[in-house]
Order: sequence, then C-alpha cells, then structure tokens
Amino acid sequence: MFEHRGAVALSVACVIAAVSAQTYAPVVIRGIVDGLAAGALDRAGLWRGTALFLAVTLAGGAASLWMRGVPLRMSHRVERALRRDLFRHLATLDPGFYRSIRTGDLMTRMVSDVAMVREFVGQGILQGVRSAVAAIVAFGAMLATSPRLMLVMAALYPPLILVFFLLLGLIRRRHEAAQEQQAELSNHCQETFAGLRTVRALAVEHLREAAFERHSREAARRNLALAWVQNPLWPLFGFAFAASSLALVLVGGRMIMTGRLTIGTLVQFQQYLLYLQWPMLAIGWTASLIQRGRASWRRLSEILERAPVICDGPRTDGSLRVVEGDIEFDGVSVVVEGRPLLRDVRLRIPAGRVVGITGPTAAGKTLLASLLPRLLDPSEGAVRIGGRDVREYPLATLRAAFGVVLQEPVLFSDTLAGNLAFGLEGAEDEWLRRVAWLAHLHEDAQELPQQYETLVGERGVTLSGGQRRRAALGRALARRPRYLVLDDVFSAVDTQTEAAILAKLGPVLREGTALVVSHRASTLRRTDFIVVLEEGRITAVGPHDELIARPGYYRDLVRRQELEARLEEPA
Amino acid sequence: MIEDAVALHRRGATARLLARALRYARPYAGHVLVSIALLMLVSAAINALPLLIRRAIDRRILAAELPVGVRWSGLVQDAAWFLVLAGGAFVLRFLESMLTAWIGQRIVHNVRMDAFRRAQSLDMAMLDRTPIGRLMTRLTSDIEAVQRFITEGLVGGVADLFMLIGVVGFMWALDRRLAAWTLAALPPMVAALAWVNVRLRRAGREIRTRASALNSLLQEQIAGMTTIQLFNREEHARRQHDERNDALFRAHLDEVRWFSLYWPVLETAQAVSMVLVLVLAVAGRSSGAAVSVGALAAFLAYVRELYRPIGALADKAGLLQQAAVSAERLFDLLDTPVTIADPLAAAAPEIPDPPAGGPAIRFDHVWFAYSGEHWVLQDVDLDIRPGESVAVVGTTGAGKSTLAALLARFYDVTRGAVRVGGVDVREVPLRDLRRRIGLVLQEPFLFSGTIAENIALADPARPRADIEAAARFVHAHEFIERLPRGYDTLAGERGGTLSAGEKQLIALARIALAAPPLLVVLDEATSSVDSETEHRIQQAIRRLMRGRTTLAIAHRLSTIRDADRIIVLRQGRVVAQGPHEDLLRSSPYYRRLYELLGLDTATAA
Repeated sequence: MFEHRGAVALSVACVIAAVSAQTYAPVVIRGIVDGLAAGALDRAGLWRGTALFLAVTLAGGAASLWMRGVPLRMSHRVERALRRDLFRHLATLDPGFYRSIRTGDLMTRMVSDVAMVREFVGQGILQGVRSAVAAIVAFGAMLATSPRLMLVMAALYPPLILVFFLLLGLIRRRHEAAQEQQAELSNHCQETFAGLRTVRALAVEHLREAAFERHSREAARRNLALAWVQNPLWPLFGFAFAASSLALVLVGGRMIMTGRLTIGTLVQFQQYLLYLQWPMLAIGWTASLIQRGRASWRRLSEILERAPVICDGPRTDGSLRVVEGDIEFDGVSVVVEGRPLLRDVRLRIPAGRVVGITGPTAAGKTLLASLLPRLLDPSEGAVRIGGRDVREYPLATLRAAFGVVLQEPVLFSDTLAGNLAFGLEGAEDEWLRRVAWLAHLHEDAQELPQQYETLVGERGVTLSGGQRRRAALGRALARRPRYLVLDDVFSAVDTQTEAAILAKLGPVLREGTALVVSHRASTLRRTDFIVVLEEGRITAVGPHDELIARPGYYRDLVRRQELEARLEEPA
Repeated sequence: MIEDAVALHRRGATARLLARALRYARPYAGHVLVSIALLMLVSAAINALPLLIRRAIDRRILAAELPVGVRWSGLVQDAAWFLVLAGGAFVLRFLESMLTAWIGQRIVHNVRMDAFRRAQSLDMAMLDRTPIGRLMTRLTSDIEAVQRFITEGLVGGVADLFMLIGVVGFMWALDRRLAAWTLAALPPMVAALAWVNVRLRRAGREIRTRASALNSLLQEQIAGMTTIQLFNREEHARRQHDERNDALFRAHLDEVRWFSLYWPVLETAQAVSMVLVLVLAVAGRSSGAAVSVGALAAFLAYVRELYRPIGALADKAGLLQQAAVSAERLFDLLDTPVTIADPLAAAAPEIPDPPAGGPAIRFDHVWFAYSGEHWVLQDVDLDIRPGESVAVVGTTGAGKSTLAALLARFYDVTRGAVRVGGVDVREVPLRDLRRRIGLVLQEPFLFSGTIAENIALADPARPRADIEAAARFVHAHEFIERLPRGYDTLAGERGGTLSAGEKQLIALARIALAAPPLLVVLDEATSSVDSETEHRIQQAIRRLMRGRTTLAIAHRLSTIRDADRIIVLRQGRVVAQGPHEDLLRSSPYYRRLYELLGLDTATAA
C-alpha cells in the first residue's frame, strides 16, 4: 500500500482544502445575519457577502471533487492489484489446498472480502480523514469564535461514541450469525439442486422444502435480531444531534440575552452542527469499516500466506529441459492427515512401456499416478524420471511432458476445439481433428450444432460424462505427451467404445510411456505389465499372463470377469 | 425517437414488474399502512423543530423588550417542547424501522419459498440447461434486491417523500414568498442532480455486468485449477483473469467520476438556495416584507433539509432499476412453465395395488424427443407383467435411460402413454407415482446429515432398527459399522470419506427401506468401483429385484442374466425381445450386441 502514499497525501490535502472552505462559509453567513439583525447591511454589503459565500462554496465543491475521487480511484487500484495477486497466488496452490476449502468459501473471499478491503481502503480513508479534519477545523473555528459554545458542542460527542462502540460489537456478532445462516440456506439450495434427481426419485421434495423453510425462518429471525441492534443507530444519532442543537440554542440564547454573543454566531454554530452531522456519524461508520475490513483482510491473508507446497525450489535444476527416461518410485510413502495412503512403493517403469494400475477402491491408484506430474509430493522416498528426482525438474518442464486425464475431468467455457487445444499454443485444426478421432470423439463432434466450434460448458452445450472424458483424452493427446496418465478414462464408456478407443490408441500409447488406471481386465491385459495396489502397497507386479498364474487380487479380478463371460455362454 | 419509445416501453415493463413484486407486500398492507402513518408523524415532528427554534430566537432570545428572566423561562419551556418532539420522533422512527424490517423479512421468506418450490419442480429439460449457480443467484441476491426495493426503496421512498412534503409545507407556512422563490429555483438544480444521477446508475449497471463476468470466470478457473496446472496454462488463465479484472476496474473508475461529482453538485445547489434565501430576506426588508432573524434561521435549516430527501429519492431510482432487473429474472423463474406437474383434477385415479389383471408397466406406443423431431424413442410398445424383471439393452444413445426417465416421469412422452398399473402416469400425483418406484441411479447423491438420515431420507421417522435392517439387506451394514461413528457418520458435501461404491450401497439401503413395488435400475457404469464392492452392489440389486417388477437399463452382464426378459433397443426402436437364450438364436443384432458387451474383447483384439 506504500506505493499509494502520494495518493493518500493528495487526498489529505484535498480534504483540508474542502473542509476549510466549508467551514468558512458559515462565517460569511454570520456576517450577513449579524448585519441583518443590526439593520446595518446595505445592498453592496449583501452582494459582497453572498458573492463571497458562493465563491467559497464553489471552491469547497471543487476540492471535494478531488477529495472523493482521489482515494476512491486509489481504492480501486488496490482492489485490482489485490485480485491480481490473489489469483496469481491461487494458480500456484496445489490440489491439496483446493480440497481443504469449499469453492463457495473461496469465492466469497474472492468476491465479498476483496470488495470489503476496497471499501476499507477507499471509503475508510476518505471518511476517516474527512471526519478527523472536519472535527479539527470546525472545532478550531468554533474555538476561535466562542470557546464556551464550542465546549457545549464538544461535550456531546464522547458519550455518543461510547454507546456506538458498544452497539457496534453487538451488531457485528449478530451480523455474523445472520451471514452464517445465509450460508446454511445457500448450502441447502446448492445441495438440493445438485441432488435433484435423487430428490425426485425418492419424492422427498416436501421434506427438502420443509427443511428449507426452517432455514429460511431462522435466517429471517437472525436478520430481525440484527435489526434490533442496528436500527436504533440512526435514530439515536439523529436524536443526539437534535439535542445538541437544543443545547446550543439554550446556552447560546442565554449568552445573547446577556449580550455576550451575537445572533449571527448562533446561526453560524447551527450551520456547523448540521455540517458536522455526517462526518461525526462517519466516525462510527469508518470504525465498522475498519473492523470488517480487517476481518476480510485476515481471511485474504490466510490465502496469500498459504505457501505453495509444490513449486520450483532450491533443488530445481533450471538447466533441465527434457524429461525422458525410466520412471522410478523409490520407497515412496504418502501420508495425508496422519493416514498412510501409500506405503513404501518401489516400482520401475522402463521408458516406452504401457503400465496398467489396478486395485480396490481407495488403494492409492490415483495418488500414485498424481505423484508423477507433481500434483502431490511424496512424504518419504522419491519419484524419479530418467534418474532425476521429479522435484529437480522445473515444474513447467515436468508437466509439459505429461498428458493427464483426470478421473473427473473439467472442461472450460470455450469451443470444443478450444478445449482440445487447451494445452497448446496455436494448434492446427487438422491435428485437433486427428486427436478427436483418436479419442473417439470425432463423430460426436460432427453431431454438435457447430461441430468443433460449438461452445461447451456452463453457457454452451452440456456434454455427456463419456463425451467429457473423451474430450479430456483428446486434450491430453493433443500436446503429444511423452508420458500419458489415464485415470479411469474408460469406466464411463461402454466396452464397445472402450475397445474401439484402445485399438486406435494402441500405437499412440507405445510412442511414449503410459500409465493406465483401470478396473477392467479388458483394458489391463493390453498393457505391458500390471501393478496391483492394495491398501497403499504394491502387492503384485507383472504381465497379465504371469499375474493370472498366481493367486491374488488380479487373478480374482480376471476370474470374476471371465466367469461372468462364461456364464453368459449358451449352455 | 425510437430510443425514447424503447425507454418508454421498458419503463412500462419495469412498472409491471414492480407492481408484481408489490403483490408480495399485499398480505402486509395493514402493517405497511401503520408504517406509513408512523412516517408521517415522524416527518411532522422533525420538521416542527425549526419552528421551535424560530420562536426561541424571535420571542425569547432576541426579544430585548422583555426582562431576561421571562425570556429565559420561555426559552426553557421551548426547550422542553423541543426535547419531547425530538425524542418522540426518534422513538417512532425506530419503531417504524423495526416494523419495516419485519415486513421485509416476511416478504423475503415468502418469495424465497415460492422460488425454491418452483426451482425444485422445474422440468428436467429446463434444469439440464440451467447451471446451479444461476438458480442460486435467483434464490439469494435477486430476492434480496427485490426485498431491498420494497423496504428500503418503497417504504424509504415514502419516508423521503413525507420529509420533502413536510419541509415544503413548513416552509410555506413560515413564509410563502421565500418558499415560492426557493421552490422556483429548485427545478434546474434537481435537473443537474438527475443528470449526474443517471450517469452514476449507468456506471453501476456496467460494474455489475463486468463483476459477474469476472466472477463466473473465476469460479470456473478455481474448479479447473488442477487441469490448468497440469497443462501449464497458468499464464493463460492469468491473462484471462487480468483482462476481466481490468475491465471491471475501468467500470469502477467511471463510477467514481460521477460519484465524486454528485456531492459537489448537491452542495452547490444547497448554497445557491441559501444565497437566494438571504438575498430575498434582505430585499424583502427594504420592500416592507420583513423576515425575522428567527424565521431566517429556520428557513436556512429547511433549505438544507430540502435536498437530503431529493438526493435520497434519486438513489431509490437506482435501487428500483436494480430491483427491476432482479425481479425480472426472479419472475422468469417463477413463470417458467412446469409441464411435469401433478394433474389438475381433484380426484386423481389411484394406482391399483396389485394391478388389476393387466401389465404392471405399459409403454403404449411411446414416442419421445427432447426437442423437435430428433426421436430418441420411436413407437416403443412394451408390457411388463407384475413381478417380471425386464432388462433393456442397446448401444449408447439407443434410448435406454430415456425409458426409465419416462417411467419415473422425469420427462413426459411426446406421443403415446406410459401406464403404471393401467393408469397413465400423467394422471396421478407425482409423489404417488415416484414413491412406488425405487430408482437406482448411476451417481447416487448423499445429502448432508448422517448416514442413518440419508438412508431414512424419504421417511425420517423410521426407527434405527428398520434402518439397520435395510442396510443389512443390501450388505451395507458391515462397512457402515466399521466407520468411526457408524450410522452417525456425517455424509454429504461430496460424500466426504465415502467411496462411490459405498455411496451406492447407502442409496440401495434407501430403496430397501422404502420398499417400493417397482424397481428401476440404471446400472450403466458405476464408475470407480472396485470389483469387490461391485460384486456387493450387484448382489444387493439382485436381492432388491426379488419379487419386484423391475425395469433394468442393463450394462452389467449379471443384470441381463437375472432378467426374465430382454428388450433390445436400437436407435429408439424395439428390435427384438425375449429370453436371453432365445434372442441369441433369433436375433443377429442381439448376438453382435452381446459380443460387444465386452465379454471377449480380449480375443476380438
């Protein structure tokens, strides 16, 4: 924020200028009123007085144009920079971070908290400085005019500010309670709509509705509880100012009666009272802005202070440009939140081989695959490619060598072609069609309204689960990866399509090294060798023929699938 | 001219929208009236205060002809009145604000319930096109915008209006000549204010548009961050983000420009009015229409008060526009026609149980297209006898799942009819229909709550013993017991620690508990399930099928094997049906399909 020092100084200067002019205007009025009361004001004097008044007001107006513009513009600059920094930082954080925070929470921080910090910077500085300067200048002017009246005015604020602070704490707590309930409400909606097929299938709409109604009523109740402490605020301040005005008239009137004050001065003070109304109220507002701004800033700092776990570090060897060679898992263990998910995995995958990985659910198959492009680093041991620890390769270089199809692939709001070319700069149509053909997607693409130029995702056509996976496969193939990782790509396609894709893919797979995570014997038997993972440990490694020859998970798997096949045969 | 016409049309539309939004306030008309009455009292009391000040100045403070003692006691008396009026006004204002807040919360609640009900009953065809995020916006920020318009905008606007009327009225009572001149000078200043205000609001609209563009991009990027990183597209993502961030920034700067102009314009307008009052006061004295000092002080106070409600009213116009946009979107949701709804007839037929003689399920020459003439099903004519299990096979896109969707009435047939127990599904209440169907979905969904609550989702009152029995029936009991908190383990929010297979078992337990007479199994690709769990799921489904009329959309061989009859669908048409063995002999297509079902892909390769 230091780079904005100039802007802050300029805002302060503008505030001083504006406030001075606005404080001087009542002095002019005093002159006119006193002249009027004494009957001493001639036409020339009146014109002089009013001309001066207008000039002062216009000067004040001009200064206040800048007074608002400068800090607000600065606050938007800060906001833009903050968004930029946050996003840059988010792009460096690993999947572990994204699992630890709900997307909704992250979005709230990126939207509301950033806006809150902006308000804190812009309005906070504007109103804070303005209130401070207005108080100093106006009270200075009052002191110069009538110390006694000034004391009357000054005595009125402290108790008010104290009461306000007490209320503020209450307001904040109840506001948070109301927000929590709002989030509860949103979650309930989100869940209902996401699971709507289930809701319908079970015909439990009325139950979802009843729960929603409870949440909604509670939200209304908490909002009203908030209103009970928030709503007295303005009337209270209004009353306080009216009382001040009264005190002014009482004390000032007494002084006038005894000839120690002119009526013009009383009018001048009344103008100050009106003028100070907002700046004094703004003290409270600014205080709450500061509190909320600080809370928002804390939440954003949590993100910014989250150190990227997976990034280039001192071990990175910048001179490594090519990732090639055998893959080696050397005593790899992964422990997440105290739970061992992979234990002492030792495995060598010679370059150019196609490896099948199988095992029961949650055995660590996906985890093992995700160690290669460093979506996760091992807790113990090392993953090596070409004899070098993957952590030695610059991250971008390492990942550029990989084509990964995740279990639940994400496509972006772009054309189908754009999605296929996602990992490339300037891809040729010809090539995209070729990878689409490889991924068995070409025919599907032809049936879309604008073929490859059809928008997919949120605002476009919704692709089926199988189409999404095949598009993700095409996207991964498009970058001609040396290492291909396919995590359960074929589970959402029928065996017929699977066979077709595998037939086409065969030669491509053999151009590089491939890891294929699968449950299907039909897929696995096409690989060079198969790795069986059970409860985080490798329990068997070998080619299909070898593995079916000895008892174990794989033989059971194949047997079961073959048994089913044989059962279907006509007797 | 044309632009004017469009604006006029839009204004008409806005008025209609808001009139409709107001309908939600109708049940609280009495409360609104009380609120308005309170506002009138508040306005009268507050605006009477300067009159007291005038009396204090003219009759007490400056009444030099009276002794100081008399003047002082008069002044104290005025002060007492002042305190009573001011205190009363502010108490009333607080009460009014609470009343308004209460009305606002009631309205929000009512609108929210309507919107939720509608969103929950939208047609599948509509939902497939509507991202959840959009529905969420309708239910949260759009409703709040409409509520703000009604309470802050409307009640607040009425309050401003009363303040304005109060100020003008008291000014008029105080000095007609001064009041007339002050008001005459008002239009050009109000025009200047309005000019700035229109631009300010336009900038505000632009900000909202660009902010939502930035946020939707951000949401997508966060969801796809791992993909972005794997493909080294961070820089590209940053560029996209920066672009929209900068666009939003520029829109903000535009708003700042008009915002900083707004107050100086208002202050200048106030100053001009004050000068006018002063000049007229002095000029009036020379022409014999004397203005007392007290009256002048009161007048100056009024002139200041005059602009506050005017400015606030202009802000309300901004609120109105925002509300109109939100209201339009909200009413679009509420007006979205729902074709899959309960029959209108009060006396809907009941589904006979067991069905009287005829088939349990009948597809009566069913044609179906999601849109236009792209037939997904063509003239499908099927009977399923009570207790019979039927498996539907076919390639992807043959229309298998559509059959299930039509039976559970997720969609309505385009032609023909689907009958359950002889009754057209369109003629029975949706709940009655769906409660008789146990639907095994490909991707089961668990809601937040415990596992027990999830199993008893359709009937929360069921005792724990029933829940456990249902879980035992589908072999889910063992793994649930092994969880750290057993049946009280929390599920939901992406299923937490449960695997896809475990979720499926819990979903099957749900059906076992509900025990519906009909079963529809969508067994396409239960992805990411290991073969052991897979085996358990199949066993569970088999147990559920026992004694139930079953329509299975089959991919698993076991499901086909267990079926009494197989229906072969090809491009939306039934091309063959019969027992497995018969079909193998009689239908070459089935034979091919059967081969392709993955039994011997190894040799095929």
